[in-house]
Amino acid sequence: MTTSASAQNPLERDENWTNPLRDPRDMRLPRIAGPCSLVIFGVTGDLSKKKLIPAVYDLANRGLLPAGFGLVGFGRRGWSHEDFADFIKENILAHARTPFNESTWEYLKGGIRFVQGTFDDADSFKRLSDTVSELDEVRGTQGNHAFYMSIPPRDFPTVSRQLADSGLAKSDEGAWRRVIIEKPFGHDLESARELDRVVSEVFDPQSVFRIDHYLGKETVQNLLALRFANMMFEPVWNSNYVDHVQITMAEDIGIGTRAGYFSGIGIARDVIQNHLLQLMALTAMEEPVSFSAKDLVAEKIKVLSAVRLPEDLGAHTARGQYAEGWQGAEKVNGFLDEQGIEKDDTTETYAAIRLDIDTRRWAGVPFYLRSGKRLGKRVTEIAVVFKHAPHLPFQDTATSELGNNAIVIRVQPDEGITMRFGSKVPGTAMEVRDVNMDFNYGNAFTEQSPEAYERLILDVLLGEPPLFPTTREVELSWEILDPIEKFWATQPQPQAYRSGTWGPQEADEMLARDGRSWRLP
Amino acid sequence: MIEILPSSTTSQISSKLAQAHAERGEASQGRVLTLLVSTSERELENVLATAIQASQEHPSRVIAIVTDRTEAPDMTTLPAVAVGTVAPLDAEIRLGSDGGAGEVIVLRPAESLLRHLDTLVLPLLVPDAPVVAWWSSSTPASPSTSLLGSMTRSRITDAQMTADPMATFLTLREHHTVEETDLAWTRLTVWRGLLAALVDEPPHTEIQSVTVRGNSHSLSVDLLGAWLAWALKVPVSFEVDEHVSAVRGVVFHRTDGDSVIERPSDASSDLFITKPGQMKQTISVPHRTLGDCMTEELRRLDPDEIYNAVLTEGWDMISHDHWTTQR
Repeated sequence: MTTSASAQNPLERDENWTNPLRDPRDMRLPRIAGPCSLVIFGVTGDLSKKKLIPAVYDLANRGLLPAGFGLVGFGRRGWSHEDFADFIKENILAHARTPFNESTWEYLKGGIRFVQGTFDDADSFKRLSDTVSELDEVRGTQGNHAFYMSIPPRDFPTVSRQLADSGLAKSDEGAWRRVIIEKPFGHDLESARELDRVVSEVFDPQSVFRIDHYLGKETVQNLLALRFANMMFEPVWNSNYVDHVQITMAEDIGIGTRAGYFSGIGIARDVIQNHLLQLMALTAMEEPVSFSAKDLVAEKIKVLSAVRLPEDLGAHTARGQYAEGWQGAEKVNGFLDEQGIEKDDTTETYAAIRLDIDTRRWAGVPFYLRSGKRLGKRVTEIAVVFKHAPHLPFQDTATSELGNNAIVIRVQPDEGITMRFGSKVPGTAMEVRDVNMDFNYGNAFTEQSPEAYERLILDVLLGEPPLFPTTREVELSWEILDPIEKFWATQPQPQAYRSGTWGPQEADEMLARDGRSWRLP
Repeated sequence: MIEILPSSTTSQISSKLAQAHAERGEASQGRVLTLLVSTSERELENVLATAIQASQEHPSRVIAIVTDRTEAPDMTTLPAVAVGTVAPLDAEIRLGSDGGAGEVIVLRPAESLLRHLDTLVLPLLVPDAPVVAWWSSSTPASPSTSLLGSMTRSRITDAQMTADPMATFLTLREHHTVEETDLAWTRLTVWRGLLAALVDEPPHTEIQSVTVRGNSHSLSVDLLGAWLAWALKVPVSFEVDEHVSAVRGVVFHRTDGDSVIERPSDASSDLFITKPGQMKQTISVPHRTLGDCMTEELRRLDPDEIYNAVLTEGWDMISHDHWTTQR
């Protein structure tokens, strides 16, 4: 497309052009990405193999990718395009959710390219530039390219620089370039700012998509629907009724082969800084004036900026490291015995913190955030725990087994809501005991509902404003975590906890000090 | 698990269902809707497989009413029945792997009950949840006032599957209400998405007219033409191609040439896109199954205003002369 061609056409110049086939009332019409390519850095990594590549295939299989689509891998291996295609096919067969379709594969395969190179080699980026130009020619990707940085943060500056130098970061008029960055966004406030500076030097702020893959759009929207589409929760969603909130993200696996990444970073920077603080903000925020990304961010920022840290960090935070033990039926290593970890490593694999939010709604309601590896099971949940009823017109013995009411928002594995309340035990005696009432979003999520990564990649290719953290939110989160990390740095070795349990003694004591205890998810 | 209940009553079915759930340790709550399916013995298993697939995304209670008659029998031809007479009702309950993410109740009512289908299924509906009716082929002339249809919140018909699709469709159109959709429309969603994406792409040169290619016996072809005529406000013509069963493709005649999107063969999922001044592109778009269509239908139960507009306005904006009655 040349400028003269567009000048002939009055419609092209019209900023207000709308597609007559897209009626806002048409709720069925799917949005299919326009012509473009997706370039993945770190394409041989776990994330790429298990999530990105299968998601691209599933999108293609659902008919949501354009005819002009290219998939480019950039890596060190001396692969040909065909070798790379074989690698992709293998991972599609192993991990895709939709069935393998030969014809979808043939279509995808036509746009698969591999560029062999290293991040510090300008020539490799020259070759990458040639490759995407070639895709523009033969696949009709029309100069639209998205760069997925599935690489360690320390490589971001180099790659951003190289993309800028090879002219890949900026495009001609009418085409777009986008960059996708995975968490973690830095390891403290200073490094987050530096990272932001480097990336925004090269890409426009609206072209940078920060992705927290734990937090799918689906989860965010489910939470918003629960809180703001209903009448029955909002009236009790405040300090008059809520005693405290527990946000848990537990993994049942260890660090595996990620020693190099994990050592010195720790679970708090890896998970609490982004994922748990985002969940906390969504749970605690006021109702946004609209569900546009902008208004949503405004409310989350208010919450994050109202967070107050405990004065005595030693009493209200806890750290741990998993020791050897039995994870279910499997004998597993302790953290210090993992490959690539020094015997005196002080990185925490479990962290729990108490935060308070200084707003009228949440005054006096602590938020307990905990996350750990090698815990009892894999689970992410938000538990809003209510106060006891001010008066119980029963004999003490009748309610001795009654706990706090709770609303538990289960984020994974089976997304849904659990309500916990007291119910009379059937029989002649008056006895009240806790029961759970469950709601699941679909008993079985099948291939029908797109996976988080599919939605995420499609949003990027469509240029939809994502519901992911903005720079300001990232900075605020570091402002919350940095003092805690600084305090922990002065402390000795984190307390050991047996693999397969719910964390160190210290964490239980931390809640016991407030007269509370952790839920057993 | 399939449990056969010969000569049953609705209350026996309800209590059997509750008992089966209790024995299996499942909750019967969490169903988001009741899907009433009117079908024939011949189609039953296929129809249930489709409903079960759709219930994976929308956990539902499926009540299939198996009858080979669409209209209730004439009251006058039936003998008078004494109060207290119990008409035979054969039923089946399917749960677990046979019931999808919900449960299936199959009812085979005796002829005398067909007159009272509404009160027959009423006790079996999921409490306080939307009711959707689906006629897998034979369709009452006016779904909204039919016995089953009058108690539902949305109604799905499939005129293409009836003996005379065009005649059925025109009757449905005459009695149309906004809560109704026909699967001939649902089958077009992927095509419509592709066409909208094609129009999205710059340069947005003017579309002067449109040609729709497809089978002369497919309602989807006519509906696609009607939608394009209604949305683009340009003349739409048809080109018959009997080698495909439904839509073969669409040509946008633009000021700078033709944009074409085509799937030349039913056997392949390859689709070809040609734009002015650009080489032909291929994309693979798998064919939609009936299950995909039902899942889409159940996703939104509110009225489809676009379909309503296409039916009431768009349909008369195009010629249907290409339609033939013999395949």
